[in-house]
Amino acid sequence: MGKAYRFLDEIVLGDLAFEATGDSVSELFESAALAVIEAMADPLTVETNWTKDCLLSESEIEDLFFEWLNGIVFIKDAEGVIFHSVRAMVRHDSENNLWHLDATLTGDGVDATRQDLRTDVKAVTKHLFEIRPDESGWYARIVLDV
Amino acid sequence: MNLATAMKVNRLADAVWEIPKTEKSGMLVPARIYGTKRILESMDAGVFEQVTNVACLPGIQKYALCMPDGHWGYGFPIGGVAAFDVRNGIISPGGVGYDINCGMRLLRTDLTLADVKPRLDALMTELFRTVPAGVGAKGFVKLSRRTLQDVMHQGARWGVKQGYGWDSDLIHTEEQGCLSGADPEHVSEHACQRGMGQLGTLGSGNHYLEIQVVRNDRIFDRSVAERFGIHGHDQIVIMVHCGSRGLGHQVGTDYVRIFEKAMKRYGIFVKDQQLACAPYQSPEGEQYFSAMNCAANTAFANRQVIAHQIREAFCRVFRESPERLGMRQVYDVAHNIAKVERYERQNLLVHRKGATRAFGPGSPDVPDPFRTVGQPVICGGSMETGSYLLVGTAQANSESFGSTMHGAGRTMSRAQAKRMVRGATLQQNMAEQGILVKAVSMSGLAEEAGIAYKNISDVVESVDAAGITRKVAELLPIGNIKG
Repeated sequence: MGKAYRFLDEIVLGDLAFEATGDSVSELFESAALAVIEAMADPLTVETNWTKDCLLSESEIEDLFFEWLNGIVFIKDAEGVIFHSVRAMVRHDSENNLWHLDATLTGDGVDATRQDLRTDVKAVTKHLFEIRPDESGWYARIVLDV
Repeated sequence: MNLATAMKVNRLADAVWEIPKTEKSGMLVPARIYGTKRILESMDAGVFEQVTNVACLPGIQKYALCMPDGHWGYGFPIGGVAAFDVRNGIISPGGVGYDINCGMRLLRTDLTLADVKPRLDALMTELFRTVPAGVGAKGFVKLSRRTLQDVMHQGARWGVKQGYGWDSDLIHTEEQGCLSGADPEHVSEHACQRGMGQLGTLGSGNHYLEIQVVRNDRIFDRSVAERFGIHGHDQIVIMVHCGSRGLGHQVGTDYVRIFEKAMKRYGIFVKDQQLACAPYQSPEGEQYFSAMNCAANTAFANRQVIAHQIREAFCRVFRESPERLGMRQVYDVAHNIAKVERYERQNLLVHRKGATRAFGPGSPDVPDPFRTVGQPVICGGSMETGSYLLVGTAQANSESFGSTMHGAGRTMSRAQAKRMVRGATLQQNMAEQGILVKAVSMSGLAEEAGIAYKNISDVVESVDAAGITRKVAELLPIGNIKG
């Protein structure tokens, strides 16, 4: 199936739902992040003057994924930025039973005169929230409150 | 009837319907939906599913309610109202929403359409410059960590103390713009960081600032309208719809996670993860209530600062003081909140998610200028069709936990709306109808097109027919600012 995301308009009305896929869990984390990023602004209109490395660890993959996407929403407000691109690497440490994320977000300060801004994402919800391996890799479904 | 559910829906009255508790396993009380037959038939399947899920929550009293503007949300439906016994009931962030104390504020003026029309372009430009909107917008108020705590404690009172508004604004605000029991200790560092720069900003989505006109023939109760400061004759009023911004969104996010874990300890099982909850009388429940009140006060302060900016913008364009322009506040009301209120000698925690408090005449919580007529209720429609000013009734107090509708209610997803209309086309069409629109995001504008919403007049007729609010005046848009 590969790294992809698709906005769904049949399961929510006021909010924004999407499903994301990846051949690997790392690809899934990237594709879902790109969906969140694209909900906020057209990434092609955002320059790359700002970069942030993100390290997260959780014992459950669901928690790591939820924290990751919510982290993007948090950084948008706390640092006043929107995003151009993302790189994510997820690995499982079976000895300590922990999932680790090492990611980098790239973007720029918000500037409505230069960027095609879209929706201010309020939160990543747990409504219909799903992340699981499937026959061709990994799958997730997310509803954003906007 | 052609409904989006297989559940049995019984007619109780002209605009009141009930789903018996036998229709879903685990329902503790019936579910009631307000709406005319036409409104009920227009409701999506999510409303029926979600309102009956709410009816399963521990400690729920009498019935789970959904207002006629109800639609598919997460956890609770939008338009959901539920009351829980404070002794053995729950509190749920999903019953409040992430945008804690999202609400409406209405300012009246002595200006008329004839005064404003020649300067509408200049006024809209000034408002668009003065009231920041959209993703990443920062407000002009620079807060330190200490002053943010004051905002969380004092709400709109903090704004008025700083000179952002008038003392009379507070009397004309639900809870006088300050909820007690707000302890910033229970608000996370992340929430504070998100909220620091956002005071005085609108946000995006369905949030807006709108210049509206009140025509004589659209006043339905002149005596009550006069009490609210509305006299018609093409009078200009200003409506603001926004909430607690990132601070409130983060409080919601934080506590959904805390409650997910707490539920296991308390042996609570819910039908939707987004209904995560905890006993109101538990450390987690009390901490969320306290943090939610902090966020609600931040929202009151946010709308207070925006009202100040609106007055300043009018002052610059019309070269008159806001006092001389008669820019008094009609009311400010929350529509995403949980509050302890007293019904039938019982203290209940009433959750309103996309629903407005609508106390009737004589209620001690209704301020003096309105006590004999009832509380003003401000309902925002789509930017193309208009909004309404209603008044609360005694029947709302006895039937719907003092609650009513909050807006038009969506019938179409954001993606579908964007497929049907382009933002720039919509802006042009609205200009031809005499409505000037300024928007940060053209795609966001398309998502909010009038076609994506129910006809607000049908929604208002539903609550009027059900008796839980009465129509006072319709407010027609001439200028709209969106994020």
